[in-house]
Amino acid sequence: MNVFKDLYQYRELLKSNTKKEVRGKYKHSFLGVLWSFLNPLLQIMVYAIVFPLILRNKQEHYVVFLCCGLIPWNFFSIAINRAAGTMLENGNIIKKVYFPREILPISIVTSEAINFIISTIIIIAFVLFDGIALTPYILYYPLILLVQYLLILAISFIISAITVYIRDIQHLISVVLQLVFYATPIVYAANTIPENFAWILKYNPMTYIINGYRDIFLNQTAPDVKMLILLLAIMVVACVVGYMIFHKLQKGFAEEL
Amino acid sequence: MPKDDMAIRVEHVDKSFNVFYDKTNTIKEKILFWNKSKKEVRQILKDINLEIKKGEVVGLIGVNGSGKSTLLKLMTKIIYPNKGKIETNGKLTSLLELGAGFHPDFSGRENIYFNASIFGLTRKEIDKRLDQIIEFSELKDYIDNPVRTYSSGMYMRLAFSVAINVDADILLIDEILSVGDQHFQEKCFEKIEDLKKEGKTIVFVTHGMDSVKRFCTRAVWLHKGSIKMDGDTNTVVGKYLEETA
Repeated sequence: MNVFKDLYQYRELLKSNTKKEVRGKYKHSFLGVLWSFLNPLLQIMVYAIVFPLILRNKQEHYVVFLCCGLIPWNFFSIAINRAAGTMLENGNIIKKVYFPREILPISIVTSEAINFIISTIIIIAFVLFDGIALTPYILYYPLILLVQYLLILAISFIISAITVYIRDIQHLISVVLQLVFYATPIVYAANTIPENFAWILKYNPMTYIINGYRDIFLNQTAPDVKMLILLLAIMVVACVVGYMIFHKLQKGFAEEL
Repeated sequence: MPKDDMAIRVEHVDKSFNVFYDKTNTIKEKILFWNKSKKEVRQILKDINLEIKKGEVVGLIGVNGSGKSTLLKLMTKIIYPNKGKIETNGKLTSLLELGAGFHPDFSGRENIYFNASIFGLTRKEIDKRLDQIIEFSELKDYIDNPVRTYSSGMYMRLAFSVAINVDADILLIDEILSVGDQHFQEKCFEKIEDLKKEGKTIVFVTHGMDSVKRFCTRAVWLHKGSIKMDGDTNTVVGKYLEETA
């Protein structure tokens, strides 16, 4: 439980570092934080043009459908990508000062979560624009977000620590993420996939998370709450395990960096 | 937990570093050269036992490469021992490298906040100390300028002012008392004198025997990774100068 005591003591660092991650990302660009809107928006445009055209996708409300998949996916992939590099980026401080190292991955994931929450405005905008009404089911949003946050945090703990020892991970990760992108129902619906591949989606937690967002924003139904609670429990355990791995590996950071 | 009057306890600590001739950091290299990479294990510290009581001011002396800085880094938990354990009791601040984490584009004021938060201060605590820090650094007129416009002396002054005002119970200082000009140095010495009077525990690493004699109540002489002598400042420093001169 020392972890929480330490994090509480260093809460100011956690806060200012998270702020720095949110602000610093677009620091030298003209449009600044506007990019957290523009980026996914342009990306959605590309997919919304390409997929219905080429793949003859018959999904109704395809843009909203895409939003609910792509924006949570961006949260997932960008956070993990950045977490992989965070220890190397901060090597200088790690070698010189003691502070709880877990602050680095936590502030990356938290800053991306904040970005995601801001980007949710895009989803809501398209939902309204497409003539879909908002229902009270969106109150499930925090639950789905929490599950996703913990999932990303668990992965980030492990990835950020291992990258210090094996630098290849940083390069490998973007390829792996690309693969996972297609193994997640983002541009297609989960039920359109051939049956012999269905198991991939079944073991991919992002499937349930994206389906959850689609349920509350697009389908206007309650998400699979039982499944989400189960996932929540799994993710809590994953975070503890991820943290333990991180804690073990962080002892060598200053020497490896 | 250590006894109440104990500030730092080092028990049977061993530390060695792996010295690689060709460091393998990629999978390809690790697979190709997994048994070929030349590695040398260099033992820096051997079975160190040290107890420092609250309020003691201890000077760590020794020639280059004797393990002084490594011992200090172990105490701050930047690195961890291979064997043995280190316990510290109370809030600890290390002045190992000043200005770590300074962001050149941010103003002096913003950097005070950021740097102090790395030392584990909360916003409130920093607010309370802000004026004191700025005053000590004598950078009042420049405090809202970006740090990249500072001269190196100003930079160090700001960094030192933050670190010294953190209000820790234990201070670890590594050879940094050469900050700024004569005037500022004298001010640092006075501040450390004050901290000593307040009953803070201070551990120094330095080659300046004068400052050891001036501040320290106790000196520990490290030689080739072991403690060669430990005791009253004058005796240890005298013996050290005799042998190394």
